[in-house]
Amino acid sequence: MKDFRTLKFLDFFKVLFARLGVDYPTMRKILAVKLTMDGRRTPTIFNQQAKKKKQEENGFMKSLGMYVLMSLFLIPIVVFGKNYFFQMSIFYGIVMFLVMTSMISDFSNVLLDVRDKGILLTKPVGKKTISAAKTVHISIYLFFLTAAIAAAPLIAGTLRHGLLFLLLAIIGLILLDLFIVVLTAIIYYFILRFFDGEKLKDIINYVQIGLSISIAVGYQVLARAFNFVDMEIVFSPSWWQFLLPPIWFGAPFELVLQHHSNLYLVGFSLLALVIPIISIIIYNRMMPSFERNLQKLTNQNGESRRKERRWKNWIARVVCRSTEERVFFRFADNMMRNEREFRLKVYPALGLSLVFPFIFMLNEIQMNSYAHLVASKWYLAIYMSCLMMPSAITMLKYSGKYRGAWIYRSAPIANLAPLYSAALKVFIVNLFFPIFLILSVIFIAIFGFKIILDLFVVFVVSILFTVICSLTLNGTLPFSESFEDAQQSGGLKVILAMLLIAVFAVVHYVASLVPFGVLIYLAVMVISTILGWKQAYKTIWNF
Amino acid sequence: MIEILPNQEVILSLQGLSKNYGSKNVLNGIDLTVYRGQIIGYIGPNGAGKSTTIKIILGLEGDYSGKVEIFGEEVTADNYHYKRKIGYVPEIAELYDNLTAQEYLTFIGELYGMDFQAADEKAEKLMTLFGLEAVYHSRIASFSKGMRQKVLVISSLLHNPDLLFLDEPLSGLDANSVMVFKEILAILAAQGKTIFYSSHIMDVVEKISNRIILINDGKIVADGSFTELKQQNTEGTLEQIFNQLTGFNEYKTIAEEFVAIVREV
Repeated sequence: MKDFRTLKFLDFFKVLFARLGVDYPTMRKILAVKLTMDGRRTPTIFNQQAKKKKQEENGFMKSLGMYVLMSLFLIPIVVFGKNYFFQMSIFYGIVMFLVMTSMISDFSNVLLDVRDKGILLTKPVGKKTISAAKTVHISIYLFFLTAAIAAAPLIAGTLRHGLLFLLLAIIGLILLDLFIVVLTAIIYYFILRFFDGEKLKDIINYVQIGLSISIAVGYQVLARAFNFVDMEIVFSPSWWQFLLPPIWFGAPFELVLQHHSNLYLVGFSLLALVIPIISIIIYNRMMPSFERNLQKLTNQNGESRRKERRWKNWIARVVCRSTEERVFFRFADNMMRNEREFRLKVYPALGLSLVFPFIFMLNEIQMNSYAHLVASKWYLAIYMSCLMMPSAITMLKYSGKYRGAWIYRSAPIANLAPLYSAALKVFIVNLFFPIFLILSVIFIAIFGFKIILDLFVVFVVSILFTVICSLTLNGTLPFSESFEDAQQSGGLKVILAMLLIAVFAVVHYVASLVPFGVLIYLAVMVISTILGWKQAYKTIWNF
Repeated sequence: MIEILPNQEVILSLQGLSKNYGSKNVLNGIDLTVYRGQIIGYIGPNGAGKSTTIKIILGLEGDYSGKVEIFGEEVTADNYHYKRKIGYVPEIAELYDNLTAQEYLTFIGELYGMDFQAADEKAEKLMTLFGLEAVYHSRIASFSKGMRQKVLVISSLLHNPDLLFLDEPLSGLDANSVMVFKEILAILAAQGKTIFYSSHIMDVVEKISNRIILINDGKIVADGSFTELKQQNTEGTLEQIFNQLTGFNEYKTIAEEFVAIVREV
């Protein structure tokens, strides 16, 4: 285990911890172990030896880079004027959103680690030391996270507004962080109180998905947003703003730097100071009962309900021809719906598919007009929804419980092609089709019913595209490899997919210029999709 | 067989230990005194309260009524120093398995107050004896079930504890390792260590324990050496005594029905 710089820094506060009754050396050891584990991804059991030599990399530290990049967007917000109340409220709002959501995705592992109890509490270690270790562990994360998000805007802001600004901003950030930790813990507390651990894990999962989507979409939107936002907005304090925490934190700047003394501003500033402190006190009181509820994470309680889903059985009968395929269809359906990690990897991509077409049309509206858009062939932008398919389909081969894959081999099945085709069918039915349906409805609303035939073409093309994408599965069985092997960089694949989709779209465009062209194109696509599916069934999926 | 003499040193004593989860009573007044050097086979059906007892003794569970004393000290929420002399192999093996065996074992050793060097050397020697020297620097996540179990066993003994709690410690071990481990237990007990052994495998419990405690529905229903239990009950093996005392005698009917369903008769 290496000696962490963070811990060396922490050594300066040794005396302080000792004063508080914490066994510092033990706490340091626990932290060293925690940080080591954070920096490591669980290795796959098969190529342990090969991986051992690789330099250890910390996924968290790498993800900070992305936050630094995002923080560049915050610089103009902080710098552009002297309307502190408005600017800083927006600044704290964005910081709060980013810290809170990424807290829920990262902090959850720390706060909800039930192994701690079994491993640490059975050893001669005081409860105080364990909770101190936990607190410091969370603080280390928060520090790096907040620093990554706020450092660049704060430096820029200080250059423009002076040192007093820096001081206020740092105090504000510390209080905000305290508030966020407690707020997250309280939210968890109530979820655990009324629901079981599985529900909490699901909620965390959806927050993670939401975070990934909003970061990805945020990139696209933020850059454009500056064109729309009128920077001269008059933002005057009023009562409803008491409900919005970021505004509390924005108020002190107006109060101190602009010398605007307004009763509201004083009130907000007081809230910014007092609420975090009160919440820490509440948090301390609640901690024991929180720990008790935490047990729910491991305990299986409550009767499990059996959900009968008739329509799924109906779909399985319609889209699958052989019994074996139907069996695998149901299996793949259950796997994809239940596996949180799969959802985390794939749903954000699907969310993007939903947004992509509109981002491109937005450009068009800005350049020309809405009426112009409606009359054009821009409905072909719906092809953009296929862009995320390659990476989503690649994910089909991974599973958190990949070791269960031995069952395919030990079961008496002639070949595994039905497994592939079933998994792809589930992908289309469960994941792609809903997105496509939503987009179709919106597109029909925009462009009118004349595009229905075109939508059919796009749907058939996307099925053909699914078959083509299944090439990326590359001979590995669905759900048979660990997520840790997944390469996150699908850059090349996405570009290839984009080119291919562009080809389909261009052909579609050309066909739409010829009388009956779209109809012919549809016929050609249906035939090639059927042939392609059959061919793939016999070749690439068959072994 | 070691005789239980009242003048021997008391290691552990439970008095009127009761615990309930909501309306469900898990423990209904357990009274138990354990003396130095005993190997106690702590048995009972699933959900009888075995693990809960051990968790209370280790301070993992609070909110119970009754008194728990270890080494003459009462177990309270703030007292944790007594744990220094305890070793524990939990039934569900939670490990920080993205650490290497070396990192994990030295960490645990240090938590028990050992020096890093000492823990490291000792752990490596013990791993070598178990035939695991090659994977000492590999991550536990890559270990087989038996290897993980060996790591757990080592981690529970590294600090030379006086009192051992073993919950299904043989799971996943091969026959040879089981023999080694049973011998280790016998030697430890002969040297005055006290062992609290919990398992579902009756043959092993019958052979290694010198005192057997059977609990059912949160109460002790039998306590004594195997010979004593045999005298009190008509049945021959511990398994049969277990069935008799827990009031379970329909195993034949259930088995027959099971096979019938399998064969779709």
